[in-house]
Amino acid sequence: MRSLRALAGKEWRELLASRSFWLLLAIVGPLTGHAFITAVESYAEMSGAAGAPAALPQGLTPLDGIFVPAFGAYDLAITLLFPFVAIRLVASEKESGALKLMLQSPAGLPAMMAAKGVVLAAGWALAWLPGLAAVALWRIYGGHVYAPELLNLLAGHALRFVLSAGVAVAAAAVAPGAASAAIATLAFTVGTWALDFVAMARGGVLQQIAAYTPAAALRGFEQGQLRAGAAAVTLLVGLAGFAFAAVWISPESHRRRLRNTAIVAAAAGAAVWSAALMRPSWDLSENRRNSFPRADEQALRRIGAPLRVTVNLAAEDPRLTDLERNILAKLDRVLPSVRVEYAARTRSGLFEGDRYGEIWYEFNGHKAMNRSTTEPIVLDTLYSLAGVAAPNRGGEPDYPGYPLNARPTGATLLYYLFWPAAVIGAGWLHFRYRS
Amino acid sequence: MLANVRNLSKQFGRNAVLSDVSFSVREGEVLGLIGPNGSGKTTLFECLAGLLPCDSGAVDFRGEPLKPARRKEALFYMPDGIRPWPDQTVAWALDFFARMWRRPAGDTAQAWGLAPLARSRIGALSKGELKRTLLALALLTPQPLLLLDEPFDGLDFRQTREAMALLRGRPLDEGRTLLVSIHQLTDAARVSDRLVLLSRGRVVAEGSPAELHPLEEVFLALT
Repeated sequence: MRSLRALAGKEWRELLASRSFWLLLAIVGPLTGHAFITAVESYAEMSGAAGAPAALPQGLTPLDGIFVPAFGAYDLAITLLFPFVAIRLVASEKESGALKLMLQSPAGLPAMMAAKGVVLAAGWALAWLPGLAAVALWRIYGGHVYAPELLNLLAGHALRFVLSAGVAVAAAAVAPGAASAAIATLAFTVGTWALDFVAMARGGVLQQIAAYTPAAALRGFEQGQLRAGAAAVTLLVGLAGFAFAAVWISPESHRRRLRNTAIVAAAAGAAVWSAALMRPSWDLSENRRNSFPRADEQALRRIGAPLRVTVNLAAEDPRLTDLERNILAKLDRVLPSVRVEYAARTRSGLFEGDRYGEIWYEFNGHKAMNRSTTEPIVLDTLYSLAGVAAPNRGGEPDYPGYPLNARPTGATLLYYLFWPAAVIGAGWLHFRYRS
Repeated sequence: MLANVRNLSKQFGRNAVLSDVSFSVREGEVLGLIGPNGSGKTTLFECLAGLLPCDSGAVDFRGEPLKPARRKEALFYMPDGIRPWPDQTVAWALDFFARMWRRPAGDTAQAWGLAPLARSRIGALSKGELKRTLLALALLTPQPLLLLDEPFDGLDFRQTREAMALLRGRPLDEGRTLLVSIHQLTDAARVSDRLVLLSRGRVVAEGSPAELHPLEEVFLALT
């Protein structure tokens, strides 16, 4: 424990000695501030600023209007700035020769990697201060905060941090230098973007894999959804990155290192595969955008049978996106099993034949078809197919929405002046008076 | 016998850097490792420390085989040519080593003339200052066997004499053993109790400075 404290102290000093960390801190303030100020102004406009009528109040949610854009700055920072901070923490020890001394220290590799992870998390927590200040300012302006969906969003960004740190640390351990590690990390990020893009057009297995890319996983949290599978996969991939780093830092022979890499890859692969099969998910959004009305959920749970859906829609057809987002994802949370088969053979859906657009639902061998992707119509089809009475949906209160015509008072000063000045001042004091 | 190195071999590709290197280290002695540039001294140290996997061979410590993963329990290796934690200060590095290895830092900084450099960044030290810092760090570790790669490189004549006195002083009084690689033959003869001469990855001579006298001629004849 004592050596772990000494290690963490060393890593913290190394983090503070890193100019890239101070730069990250300095930049993240104005970045978050710009996103927050723009969001508050847009929200005010939608809420009827300047005498215009308010938009539909049900559409005004602080999650979409304020918190997702404000914390979106962190997605940018964790993708493009933070990897350099994490890489330095490993690469500088390799380049300076300090690693040769550390490998002989009483602390084992797991403790060394844990110390790096803890310190990176502490550094990233410091970088969150502008984001948390945005939440505080929003409350001061009189804005509404629904804690479960906000905490869920923060959990998504925390998991994004674990993934990014794991990838960067692994790249720094494997690559010969910091520059190569930075290129490898950015290649990983660009690769996941490409996967997202390709999967959107092609669907199928690619789309299932793309559901776990950093951007897609975070999107779920931004929608107020907590998917156990996506959360576990993100966490495991991040931790696997630290395990890979430990393997590549250890002074083993090349053959042994490859063997250990294969073992970690196999273990991580099996864990990620199992995690991806986890179905539990929770809708933590206040407006229950990821759920059917409660009456429908109760009725669907009474069916209790597995559902098989055959979709004859192509990957590029927007109706497929509607169906997946508005129907299938919600069904998956209330039925014991939802198996989806994609019958279309082309990407665009052109020249697919007469049956294109058909969506077949099957419960216990009974089949029904319709072409709609509208929620009540599909639900009524399912009820009649399962022989269950459609519930009365009238009793559920509508989401009220939270319009707020507020100006971002003080935010400009805080984010563009006070925060950068505080970071620059603290950095100057640190470098001037470090002992 | 403190340690016994048996048939250590290491190849980089087709290039054999160490070939069946065998020698013994006696308890409480200063054993000098000499040899021309490229003779494999640093590779031998890294193999002994377990930082570089060797292809074959073994190390016995006090009669027991010592696997590479456990070498750090018995020996500590201070490499040459490193500048660890360049953004940190000398005082911090000494304190960190003392805390990591749970040893009192005591008057280490004073003894090595580092007190005036305590607040200096390691990255800003001169070659001689850095070498003294690294030697001080090495002496803060508790392992019975210390491997020092070129401990006098970068030190002037006076500093070399002082460093030799410091190395032969407290560490030996504490019962530690030193294995030092030195390319200056006069320094090697002065500081070592015995010498091992390495050439092209092989041990070509072993003995006391008196037995290998005159050392320059032995060196030229065998390397």
